[in-house]
Amino acid sequence: MTEAMTTPDATAGKKAPTPRTWQIGRYALLLALAAVVVVTAIGNPRFLSTNNLLNILFQISTLGVVAAGQTMLLVSGGLDLSVGANLSVAGLAAALTILATGSTTLGVFAGLVTGLLIGCANGLLVASNRANPFIITLGTMTFLQGVAVVISGGSPVNGAGALFDLFGLGSTFGIPNPAYIFAVVLIATWFVLGRVMLGRYAYAIGGNEEAARLSGVPVARVKIGLYTLNGLIVGAAAVLLTGILDSALPNMGTGYELRAIAAVVIGGTPLSGGRGSVLGTLGGVLLLGLVSNSMNLLGVGANYQSAVLGLIITAAVLLQKRT
Amino acid sequence: MMPTGLPETTPAAATAIEARGISKTYEGTLALDAVDFSVAAGEVHGLVGKNGAGKSTLLRILAGATRPDSGEIRIGEVRVTALNPIAAQRAGVVAVYQNAELHLNLSVAANIFLGSELRTRLRLVDNAAMESEAEALLGRLGLSLPVKATLGDLDIAHRQQVAIAKAVRANARVLLLDEPTAALNKSQTDFLFRLIRSLAARRIAVVYISHHLDEVLAIADRITVLRNGRRVGVVTAGSVNKGDLVEMIAGHSVAGISERRRPAAAKPEPILSLQAVSLPGHLHDVALDVAAGEIVGLTGRTGAGARTLASVIAGVTAAHGAMTVGGAPFAPRSIREAIARGVVFAAEDMRQRGLVMAMSAAANMTLARLGAVARRGVIMLGQEHAEAFRLGEFLDLTPRDPSRAVMTLSGGNQRKVLIGRAVFADARVLVLEEPTQGVDVEARRQIHDRLRQLADRGAAIIFFSTDLEELIELADRIVILNDGRIQREFDPEGLAPEVLLTAIQAGGPDEHRHD
Repeated sequence: MTEAMTTPDATAGKKAPTPRTWQIGRYALLLALAAVVVVTAIGNPRFLSTNNLLNILFQISTLGVVAAGQTMLLVSGGLDLSVGANLSVAGLAAALTILATGSTTLGVFAGLVTGLLIGCANGLLVASNRANPFIITLGTMTFLQGVAVVISGGSPVNGAGALFDLFGLGSTFGIPNPAYIFAVVLIATWFVLGRVMLGRYAYAIGGNEEAARLSGVPVARVKIGLYTLNGLIVGAAAVLLTGILDSALPNMGTGYELRAIAAVVIGGTPLSGGRGSVLGTLGGVLLLGLVSNSMNLLGVGANYQSAVLGLIITAAVLLQKRT
Repeated sequence: MMPTGLPETTPAAATAIEARGISKTYEGTLALDAVDFSVAAGEVHGLVGKNGAGKSTLLRILAGATRPDSGEIRIGEVRVTALNPIAAQRAGVVAVYQNAELHLNLSVAANIFLGSELRTRLRLVDNAAMESEAEALLGRLGLSLPVKATLGDLDIAHRQQVAIAKAVRANARVLLLDEPTAALNKSQTDFLFRLIRSLAARRIAVVYISHHLDEVLAIADRITVLRNGRRVGVVTAGSVNKGDLVEMIAGHSVAGISERRRPAAAKPEPILSLQAVSLPGHLHDVALDVAAGEIVGLTGRTGAGARTLASVIAGVTAAHGAMTVGGAPFAPRSIREAIARGVVFAAEDMRQRGLVMAMSAAANMTLARLGAVARRGVIMLGQEHAEAFRLGEFLDLTPRDPSRAVMTLSGGNQRKVLIGRAVFADARVLVLEEPTQGVDVEARRQIHDRLRQLADRGAAIIFFSTDLEELIELADRIVILNDGRIQREFDPEGLAPEVLLTAIQAGGPDEHRHD
């Protein structure tokens, strides 16, 4: 054996090592969460009441589910802008099925399958590599918004049936049921990204697609798989939201895509891909939820809320950029 | 106060840049330990050391890209404790990195004037003025480049010339060159050396970082040697030979060349066979047999087809003709299929085509055969770590922990990870591009030894290289391509680099018309 290698080699990499600065972003997020909690708790003691905390959990669940799915895509360097429109269409599919058949089970099934098929279509289009995911899913988003209006006739479809009891009203062990769906999706996506080959390939493609391809990673299949899985998750969110609202609205998903992406990015997953985690996304979703709730409790006018949220998103992203 | 009694030469001329007592720690590792460094105006100063010795860190500190923990830098009369890139540039320090920071979509002239564009009276960008000034500047430097051409259409050597011209235009007083010849062939290197000389004659101080000690000895006036973050010495280039330098770099005598070569055994059946392989414009009717256990070096001038041939064998580039691997037809439609047949490719450009920098060494090494450490799609992290650790031991990866992100590893260790991937993928045919480019002498020897070991275990290894010494040290057979055809084969035993070089350069662009 060569003796030389026993001398510890100073590893002065060519690039400044990122891992440490990475944690600063994480740290900033925790700090922001803590600040919101402290400020609101002082301003309005009702903030920390069990009821209010459960209410927050209830409110963030749908966004959380969508954001967890979006995290996988961003890690792989992808993006799906059509998740909001997908949410509407899949929710309508569920509600219309329940109206037509009277079966909640069939309705849930229809919602999940619709979401999955839309995701799969996005995956096929993205994997063709003809345009970047932003443009492709901008197209499907616009298309699906049209579809939602057409199949609903432009008005709400009141047909959530038993879903309203389950998700709109129901709770288990005192915790609202949507939170369980959020938890399941969170754990599932965490497992996929951390332990499943598909997730590892997502990191590889997001980090360096050419190197991944030259290492034999089935790039197209991985992309199709990720978008399809994300579609299924959006389908689940659609069923959830339809239950919560006790109806499906043709525009109920509007804005979810951007809020989901914001939550993911606030959580430390860069748009350029290759890094990130659903744990961070959980932090991002919590921050958005807490801030909305906090502004309501502190009496910030509705008109200001959007502006404040915008400032927070921008500030969070700038903080990430610094790292 | 001079802390060391090492051989020291005092710069005769005015000092262009001087660093004193520079220290820098990365994640608890001391990358630079109170290093002194000075370059006189008009001097070419070589900076050498192993990967991780601190060369790149010092370069980055001089360029203002990294802040030192302590120490002082003086540029001309300006004294600073820590620079930033803009302050450094204003003071006249310009770094030309391996991947020159140029814009491939812009023209040559636009690149040279980027950030300080000439304007018309209406504050619009004055392309005509920039083009004529760029033309004049390039002329003064003895460069003939089309100023209107898009930079992306030029080859690496020309892009580098543009980067240097840009530095000259910005009135650089100190030019930092990091492995400037890494992607250059012999004649391009000669041209660069003449350019460097003319810059020195203009009183520009040039810092030249390279692993190629012959080049450093040829171009530098003085050489600073770093080892483990410390300055080992400063020597005058004329006063030392390559062996002295290697000894200073390694800290102990390194046995000359890696022990080699297996006795010529009876040729077994070829594991890889090419017949009439053609790719219009690149390869013409190439036939090649490679036996198990054999290491074949492909070489040739830029564009001669050697690199293309390697990528055809690896399944990266599709070509006409017949290939067989292990006796069965081999016509992979994807890299994935090639890997399934045991043909694994390791690209030269690790950052762009080789490694996923943000992932761990372990994840990079298992990437090509992830299924081997997974059960029903679920990765067994413990098993993966254990196998990666074993590979790290085999390859002498430092640091040994495979869970570190490869971006934190030195260049030589990144190469090892890339080779580790091929080993993990159970390569029967290993195809490599420039397997030790940018790697220090010891890592290079280790990589060569490991490749030899893999061959001894029955793998066939085909590598493309422009490094004459590497070809002679590593290959059992050297195949020279010219104009897309196999022109000559050499047995490297006792072959002199000059002979090889002459053979590579023989057959000018016109010669093929005669044969």
